[in-house]
Amino acid sequence: MIHKQLGDAELDATVVRALSRLPSHAPSRGFADRVMARVQLPQPSPVVLYRRARAWAAQPRHALALAGGYAASALVAMAFVVPWLLAHLPAIGFTAEWVAGRASGAARRGLLTISQRAASSGAADLLQSLSGGRLWLTVTALTLGYAGCAAGLHYFLRTPRGKDVPVQLPL
Amino acid sequence: MPSAKDLQSLSDQEVVALARAGAESAYRELVRRYERPVFSLIYRMVRDHALAEDLAQDAFVKVLNALDSYRAEYKFSSWIFKIANNVAIDQLRRRELDTLSLDGSPDARTQEQIEATALQATDRAETPLAELEARELGAAIEEAIAKLRPEYRSCIMLRHVEGRSYEEIAEALDLPLGTVKTYIHRARHELRGYLAHLRG
Repeated sequence: MIHKQLGDAELDATVVRALSRLPSHAPSRGFADRVMARVQLPQPSPVVLYRRARAWAAQPRHALALAGGYAASALVAMAFVVPWLLAHLPAIGFTAEWVAGRASGAARRGLLTISQRAASSGAADLLQSLSGGRLWLTVTALTLGYAGCAAGLHYFLRTPRGKDVPVQLPL
Repeated sequence: MPSAKDLQSLSDQEVVALARAGAESAYRELVRRYERPVFSLIYRMVRDHALAEDLAQDAFVKVLNALDSYRAEYKFSSWIFKIANNVAIDQLRRRELDTLSLDGSPDARTQEQIEATALQATDRAETPLAELEARELGAAIEEAIAKLRPEYRSCIMLRHVEGRSYEEIAEALDLPLGTVKTYIHRARHELRGYLAHLRG
């Protein structure tokens, strides 16, 4: 029994205070896991397709069929391509040299134009001083570096992928 | 992928957006945030621990499987309380559970189960006497709450136990604001009546 004589207002205040002090009840351990087991996580469709394809290919017969098909298609392609290449080798060589020369010239001119526009940087002089081989080496190194940065950035910013996302909350 | 700490600092809306993108940790964060209030609300409605847990699970599964239909202009808490309340009310209507056992769940078989499901009145008293009084009062309040009509029970618990605003309760329970205020007023009046014996 409460050892007080309570008026209406006081009783009301006591009730409100007692209500606010009622403890919150918690479900038993593993509640979140049981909920998650019944929840369907949305998955981006490319992930679903990839998983289905991987599951299909993981079966031994399918894997064997895929490997056989790949080898057969390579053989068929070579049966057509090799004779054709042998027959057209001189023309191919000439065309390849011509294309490479044009591409090299265009790339060099483009780079020079860009570097010249970079007013006082001095990069234009540097590029002009480079021989053809060194220029290609520089361009290749820059391209690879750029691609590496892009790959790193992609890895860093990759989107969550459904159930593949590791559970980080120790519940 | 945000870490658990990152998620804790995000708003409900932001966590929901991540969950919609498929992040399982965001789903778990929503469960972590609301498991106690939702479970408490349902438990005080149905007065049975195991049943309350099943119903709370159902409520969460409904909410999490329907995240795409959640409209961000409403508070997430209102939405989840609305679903939890509907689940509890449906259950009460089906089984007409309106009795209360302060000594533990009616399903409890062993002494351990009885103790585990017995109502805890409070844990914040300052002295042994105050603790005894608070426990008595808390138990009396729990008993009185159980006697209220379910809609009064939802309103009074959301307002005074969960500390939600009148507007939020109106949104959660799909009731006009005036009705919510009336329900809470009447519920408090009824509680005072049930607790009148405490006057000494």
